Amino acid sequence: MVSVINTVDTSHEDMIHDAQMDYYGTRLATCSSDRSVKIFDVKNGGQILVADLRGHEGPVWQVAWAHPMYGNILASCSYDRKVIIWKEENGTWDKMYEYTGHESSVNSVCWGPYDYGLILACGSSDGAISLITSTGDEQWDIKKISNAHTIGCNAVSWAPAVLPGSLIDQPSGQKPNYIKRFASGGCDNLVKIWKEEDGQWKEDQKLEAHSDWVRDVGWAPSIGLPTSTIASCSQDGRVFIWTCDDPAGNTWTAKLLHKFNDVVWHVSWSITGNILAVSGGDNKVTLWKESVDGQWACISDVNKGQGAVSSITEGQQNEQ
Amino acid sequence: MAARWSSENVVVEFRDAQATAMSVDCLGRHAVLSGRRFLYVVNLEMPSEAPRKIGRQSKWDVGTVQWNPHRTEAHLFAASSNQRVDLYVWQDGCGEAHTSLLGHTRVISDLDWSWFEPEFLVTSSVDTYIYIWDTRDTRKPTVALSAVAGASQVKWNRRNQYCLASSHDGDVRIWDKRKPNTAVEYVAAHLSKIHGLDWHPDNEYILATSSQDNSVRFWDYRQPRKYLNILSCQVPVWKARYTPFSNGLVTVMVPQLRRENSLLLWSTLDLNSPVHAFVGHDDVVLEFQWRPQKEGSKDCQLVTWSRDQTLRIWRVDPQLQKLCASDIVEELMDGLTLATDSEKTLRSQDSEAPLSPSLNADESHDQQEGVQSSLSTSSRHDAPGLPQTLQQEFSLVNLQIRNVNVEMDAVNRSCFVSAHCGANRVRLVVKFPAQYPNNAAPSFQFVSPTTISSSMKTKIQKILTDTSLQKVKRNQNCLEPCVRQLVSCLESDIVSASEDGTNPYILTNPVTPALPAFPRVTNTYGSYQDANIPFPRTSGARFCGTGFLVYFTRPMTMHRTAPPTEPTPRSLSALSAYHSGVMTPMKMRSESQATLRLYSGSPTRTDKEQVSISSFYYKERKSRRWKGKREGTDCSNRPIKLAGKVIIQEVSCLLPVHKALGETYVLNVNDIQDTCQKNAAAALAIGRRDLAKVWALASAATSLDLSPDSEPDADTPWARHPFGRHLLETLLDHYSHMSDVQSLAMLCSVFRGQGSPHDSFTLYGHQNPRSSVLALHHLRYPSYTSSSVTSGSCSSTSDSTTTTWNMIGRDSEHIPPWGESSPDDYRYGNQVYTDPREREKEQHDMNKRLLDPANTLQFDDFKKCYGEILHRWGLKEKRAEVLKFVSCPPEPHKGIEFGVYCCHCRSQARGTQCAVCKRFTFQCAICHVAVRGSSNFCLSCGHGGHTSHMMEWFRSQEVCPAGCGCHCLLQSTF
Repeated sequence: MVSVINTVDTSHEDMIHDAQMDYYGTRLATCSSDRSVKIFDVKNGGQILVADLRGHEGPVWQVAWAHPMYGNILASCSYDRKVIIWKEENGTWDKMYEYTGHESSVNSVCWGPYDYGLILACGSSDGAISLITSTGDEQWDIKKISNAHTIGCNAVSWAPAVLPGSLIDQPSGQKPNYIKRFASGGCDNLVKIWKEEDGQWKEDQKLEAHSDWVRDVGWAPSIGLPTSTIASCSQDGRVFIWTCDDPAGNTWTAKLLHKFNDVVWHVSWSITGNILAVSGGDNKVTLWKESVDGQWACISDVNKGQGAVSSITEGQQNEQ
Repeated sequence: MAARWSSENVVVEFRDAQATAMSVDCLGRHAVLSGRRFLYVVNLEMPSEAPRKIGRQSKWDVGTVQWNPHRTEAHLFAASSNQRVDLYVWQDGCGEAHTSLLGHTRVISDLDWSWFEPEFLVTSSVDTYIYIWDTRDTRKPTVALSAVAGASQVKWNRRNQYCLASSHDGDVRIWDKRKPNTAVEYVAAHLSKIHGLDWHPDNEYILATSSQDNSVRFWDYRQPRKYLNILSCQVPVWKARYTPFSNGLVTVMVPQLRRENSLLLWSTLDLNSPVHAFVGHDDVVLEFQWRPQKEGSKDCQLVTWSRDQTLRIWRVDPQLQKLCASDIVEELMDGLTLATDSEKTLRSQDSEAPLSPSLNADESHDQQEGVQSSLSTSSRHDAPGLPQTLQQEFSLVNLQIRNVNVEMDAVNRSCFVSAHCGANRVRLVVKFPAQYPNNAAPSFQFVSPTTISSSMKTKIQKILTDTSLQKVKRNQNCLEPCVRQLVSCLESDIVSASEDGTNPYILTNPVTPALPAFPRVTNTYGSYQDANIPFPRTSGARFCGTGFLVYFTRPMTMHRTAPPTEPTPRSLSALSAYHSGVMTPMKMRSESQATLRLYSGSPTRTDKEQVSISSFYYKERKSRRWKGKREGTDCSNRPIKLAGKVIIQEVSCLLPVHKALGETYVLNVNDIQDTCQKNAAAALAIGRRDLAKVWALASAATSLDLSPDSEPDADTPWARHPFGRHLLETLLDHYSHMSDVQSLAMLCSVFRGQGSPHDSFTLYGHQNPRSSVLALHHLRYPSYTSSSVTSGSCSSTSDSTTTTWNMIGRDSEHIPPWGESSPDDYRYGNQVYTDPREREKEQHDMNKRLLDPANTLQFDDFKKCYGEILHRWGLKEKRAEVLKFVSCPPEPHKGIEFGVYCCHCRSQARGTQCAVCKRFTFQCAICHVAVRGSSNFCLSCGHGGHTSHMMEWFRSQEVCPAGCGCHCLLQSTF
């Protein structure tokens, strides 16, 4: 049964904007309008403040954990136009890199799949998307997609690392030839898919369905099936599920998950990509699941933080 | 009697018109009324005549109709209908639609003809675009302004042909049509929807907005953060428009409970009470427009159209016009008596004609006093409209021009203008006469240290005089235009001088254009500049790890200010409402001063910094729940929890994968049957009965009785049976739909182990299936097998491109007989089979597998994905077991590569020869010959040499052959 295993009092002095656990689910990072990022050890239901990271000069919008194979690394982005990459070394957290290449609030950060190395995508209200890649030795390579979204970019989300079907066997010793892709959403009401070709980022697809600012995009994790899935949510209250069965990635079809009464701020996929968590301005969290016949149904409602995820219908349980 | 002098109006009823919009042409001859079925053109000279009709076929009402304001095009009018605009020509008593403008994708909200170019028309729409059309080319708009938000109003500036304003909910954007990408200025004007927008007829920078929030506000868009003045009404204001005579304003209210259908005339110099009410309409006034003055007449006429289906024409005589004006004291005094007169009259008529709800008996007395006091002080009064006094001009003037300094002295009515450009210095004294700017130009005089030539002085003097005269003739201020003229004149002089090649200053002092007209204030959080920054999330949920859901919500104690029916704002600029008292929401007005201070504060720096997203939520809670308790106490004394708790939930029961199964599942290739049975028991133990059955089926399908014959000519393999490959595919398909990657990966692994043809391992002799499978993968992908970790960590060759592992790995790809061993190789089809038997055999190999070899890549993905999940669970050994069954290489191991430091010059070297000293980089500790080829090092002491020599040495010795005393065998595992 679904159970609350921990309730963390963050003691932030202002509203929280993001909370995320690391790869193993042992640490929690939170960020807030009080300009701080906090890291808690939440093993075994406890809460130990590991670090209180100060460095941003404005509200911090989002945090992102890197894959642990690169160490304990956390990225945060803020209204102050900065992206800060924090790293734990010998038990203390410190700034590893500070990126100041945006001209307006940075709204979203997302680490790429570990297969690509340490690569971070950042979406900003100046309309640009930056891709920050570690080249080792504390050096970072910056690529910037200018005017990715007119008016502003609100969200970025990486596609899982999938090898293109035509290249099955890679010559050993060489880097596998991944096609790097990510999705972004912006104030032009569009979801865009970007693809790296010959080291350059190019707009691959433009997905049009929302009638207002796109607030978040989430590329579903892959379990090895050929279908790609993206969830997007918007100020217009709609959540769309975009799917693409075409191996070339050219034909995307949208399906309306639900129209909410207020803005939808965030979408998040479960690790197997079959449950979507949706949250928005109505202060509610709902979980959605696709049934075997392809229909999306709400399986629970976390209302105003009062109760646990409730009312999982009998049918869904049997499916388990 | 007030009512008398304005009630001389014309009333004409058009019972069937059902018109939604009205417009008066620029000649004052016609008014067009737009009904759904007909457009009615009314002759304003003889309004009672039957109107001429123009038929129209549309199921949509006309949204807006407007005559072209240019005399040359006075026969033309435009009417919007849903998504399109129709252009009509009215000639010789009949009219017709001659063309349509199509482009908008949603309903058009407003249209406006340009005041400068007769062909240009701007339209705004809910579809978020503002289009500027050239009626000579109607195929598509010439300019598209993308506003992102739908616009409700759009209006051309009356003084600047490039400038226009649009309203979007509570915001106003100012556009320069030459810069269509983005608005040049944002004004967060109101908290509720703006219904009406009107530019000042004489001042380029001033506009009036009327809104649902019960106010009309006056703005200088160069100062977007603070309105110039506010007119507070008790009801939402539908339209507020400037009058053609100075300082007047006419408003129409949105009637709510009371049937308030009067138009009110205000003086913009005194917004406490209306100057006059036009009483008469029985229903909502839909439109009102001024009829152009007739030649020789001093009267103005206001034409109104109401839902009561009457058209009325109201005469506004010069006396009433003067009520709005302020320039001459005598007139003011006249106006004062008149005004009081009219107030009394209006009051006395209360019983007959309903007046503005504010004009009840008690209030009108106050207002009367207000009128008097404000009028008596009006010479010092801040004018919301055109700045009339010198002081106002000085305070409003925008002189942020490079190299120019202006010292203004309003008391002495003079100012000093110093400018330097290149080597030239100019200092000017400008003196303003008392009547300025009413047709009285200031004087300009050069004073020292002016350095320019006398001919230049004459030239500049002339330009300045011309410019100022031009302006003051229209009673306009001239300081700013004059200073700009001065600068451009000086600059052009320098440019022309430099063109002659005589001016050496051109390089050091390049001509810089004047700063942009909209100097930006420094950025503060939540200001209007944040219009494109999304409103922050205050709740969110994220799946983390494998089975956790982390979520946070807004604390229960914090409520939204806005009613729940109103959606959360889109952009952070909504917070600008909390920056200063200026923008205090209406509802706040009624609250106590203490609470007001907390939320709205004065716009000092510290207060600005305190503006946070929580301000948006904070308030309602206070006003609702805490007001009583908090009375008299300073709110900041009490800490308020603004951050909610972050809740971590275990939701793995919702997921198709189970950690318990991950722990108990086994993969024993030696005994597939046993594996299946054990896994069935494990599935049963956690209640997955479906999986228990699947494992039972798997057990049956992998039964040894069914193992395929190696000879193609024997029986059809079991895989071809419906319960063979087909059954398995159906199962995989099912679990794919459920995203159960655990079952998928396990099934694929088991059947891959089972499906491996025995004869492919002949190269290894008679090994049992398990070890052969292991050996195969072991050789090709050493990094994933657990045994490989212990092997070979120290072996390397100095030629870094060939390692022993890779050698075997590569061989496996290139030696043809191995082709049978790896399913991957079949898919390449790169081997050419000369022998038909060979081909048949290959076909048979494909057929006898239960897992379709064509999908191997996908099966590998299942396993890798499951491996990743096992990794997150911390089950690394289980992960390694699963990944052994991956046929395709995972990411190549790029762990340790041994670097070599040259033993002579200590520089890092690649290959056998040092790039720096050109000698061999590394000598064998035994034979002292440079090593190339296979070599071994001790990781501890760094000594080593040819592999054969090392093997030989350490067979009998324990310490380093170099004599360093290192116990190499213990220090590093060979």
